[in-house]
Amino acid sequence: MSTRTEGRYLHSDLEPGDALRSMLREMLESGRLDSVFLLRRTPAEGRFCYSLVSDPETIDETLPFHPVMPVQAARALTQLTIREPLNGPVAALLRPCELRAFLENVKQSQGSMENLFVISCTCPGVFPASEFIGSGRRDPGKDWDLRNACAACVDFVPGTGADMTVILSSDDAVSGTLVHLATARAEELTDHSEGFSPVDGPDPADRNRTTASERQRVRRALLRDAPPAGEGLSSLVSMFSKCIGCRACRQACPLCNCILCDYETSRTIHSPALVMEESRRRGATRVPSGTLQFHLGRLVHIAPLCTACGQCGDVCPVDIPVAEIFIRAGELVQDTLAYRPGRDPDEGPPLSVYSDGELQEIMD
Amino acid sequence: MKGLRVPGFDDIAKALKYIIDLSLGSGAVSGALVPVRGPEGSFPWILASDTAPLEGAEPLPPVMPVQGARALASFTQDPPEGKVLAVMRPCEARASIEVAKLQQSDLDGTILLTMDCPGVVPLADLSSDDSLEPDPGDPASLRPLCRQCTQFTAAGDISVARSGEGIYLLPLTEKGRLFAKELGFTGGETELPEWRARTDALIKQREEAALESHRSIRLEAQGLEGLAAFFSGCVGCRSCRTVCPVCYCRLCFIDMKDRRSSAADHLARSASAGAARLVTDTLLFHIGRMSHMSLSCVSCGMCEDACPSDIPVGRLMSMVSVGTSQLFGYSAGASPDDPLPLTVFEPEELHEYED
Repeated sequence: MSTRTEGRYLHSDLEPGDALRSMLREMLESGRLDSVFLLRRTPAEGRFCYSLVSDPETIDETLPFHPVMPVQAARALTQLTIREPLNGPVAALLRPCELRAFLENVKQSQGSMENLFVISCTCPGVFPASEFIGSGRRDPGKDWDLRNACAACVDFVPGTGADMTVILSSDDAVSGTLVHLATARAEELTDHSEGFSPVDGPDPADRNRTTASERQRVRRALLRDAPPAGEGLSSLVSMFSKCIGCRACRQACPLCNCILCDYETSRTIHSPALVMEESRRRGATRVPSGTLQFHLGRLVHIAPLCTACGQCGDVCPVDIPVAEIFIRAGELVQDTLAYRPGRDPDEGPPLSVYSDGELQEIMD
Repeated sequence: MKGLRVPGFDDIAKALKYIIDLSLGSGAVSGALVPVRGPEGSFPWILASDTAPLEGAEPLPPVMPVQGARALASFTQDPPEGKVLAVMRPCEARASIEVAKLQQSDLDGTILLTMDCPGVVPLADLSSDDSLEPDPGDPASLRPLCRQCTQFTAAGDISVARSGEGIYLLPLTEKGRLFAKELGFTGGETELPEWRARTDALIKQREEAALESHRSIRLEAQGLEGLAAFFSGCVGCRSCRTVCPVCYCRLCFIDMKDRRSSAADHLARSASAGAARLVTDTLLFHIGRMSHMSLSCVSCGMCEDACPSDIPVGRLMSMVSVGTSQLFGYSAGASPDDPLPLTVFEPEELHEYED
């Protein structure tokens, strides 16, 4: 017997973009919200950005859950709340991976959830940034593919932290818009939302069983076949040969928050004498040195917390499959530590929690 | 400019490989910096101490993944033990000279060897088609900044050029002249009429392309609104900064902790304008970077090649740098003896910008 649970929803006849714009406009007009954080058009064609919108009329220019992620929202929310919490009610439209990453950042004192009302979604995924750029690096004639990370995402139904969830992905088509209310705050805020009527139905996870299976299948294939599915170090060296050291992967990652990265310090930057010595010892050495050191270091720091959003792969200028590498490393490390980033806001980050007698299985 | 014949070669890349082998093999230098063909279509820089690894040397790869000045500066904060032959494109050599002036590297003992550069293919294009080759006569094959480059030859200490059917070494400094002699190129220097004519013709073409590019970029990025639209697609990845040979700060001004705004400030910004973009400070970052590095910009175009959002940032930087350099009569990388304009105080200057 399946354990189907029922959820409380609001339904609108309008399509999600219009339905959400109408709801958010009203919340701003009534003063129930000071501001809304979501995607918006920019003056340039095909360019979008996240924006804190305070003017109800500007909501008309917004694109709630448009399938693009120019910046990982957790990075933006961290910038917004790192010094101090929000001093007024703000709603943020976040995909599950963005919500989970922000929850992890909050755990590391890089932001605050106070006064933040989270509107998430059952996420169908986003397209790589290059698909949206007019001139396009990819073949404009071919079908647009989702980010690999999205096709393989099994955490696309939001958990703790979401006040409301818009059903964008579901096994059966939804007519109009369905918004799941998960918290008392959600019910309170949407009390008088015009154009919406209350309705009960299967909860977001139950609406996505088939989709979840398909995603599992793709994820298993990714974990099995994706790079670096090869022979250890030499395969990694090969894969990162093309790396130009631009650090875009680090900058784009919402979890990389160090003001001064370890790999920009004199501790890790090799001295001229060391480089020359390496050159003499081996006949030649790559310069600038430290290509693999940077990536392995970042893997060690980030793998326990990686939410598999794929932002890193999207920004790589030489198409190194960074996202796939981090997703695989994340899976292995998170399984070992029995930790899932963003699952539980009250659960301490794995490396900050000491447990007597753990990890026996990986000891000699 | 006159040159010393490199007998037996009619191809610049092959002649370069020969000269590098000769330099390292004869002990004239103890290290050679040159790109090699690596796995997965990569062209990493190597510092070779032995001639064996030079078999895979590729002095003129079809792309420029890492600016040569960055590669050189990574191990020359102090002058290296023994001499180093650094083989790189003219823009990379000019950047190396700027980086040394900025005190981030010491060029003592380094010989900068350049060549007639055909230009390069955009990094992203090579990812999808690894057979692409740059053709100096076909602008469409080149990166936008290469299409408007007028300084594609004769930089550094010594340059390699083709004139007619022959390959020639052009010594440009005393250091270069001595090095050529040390390698055994002791013949007389000859005029290079074919090279001169062809180079002048290409410079003229490129000058026209540069003027047109400056004009159109200036129009596109006009005023605050124009500049904001220009950088609409910027995602703050900072690639442009990191790959730039001139940007060397370990902690960039934009990342300073004290600069962070409070949530209240962000909300106030949103309230007053109706909406406020996050991640913020897009224009501040680019204008700030321009004001810091513009005078040393060599228009190499690494920034534009690395941009994941296809923003023509290199063309903008180049246009601005031409303007700022003209203010001081300065040319980045032309000579190690030209001091950086901001380090020179003139009691009477720039009156035309006073009210």
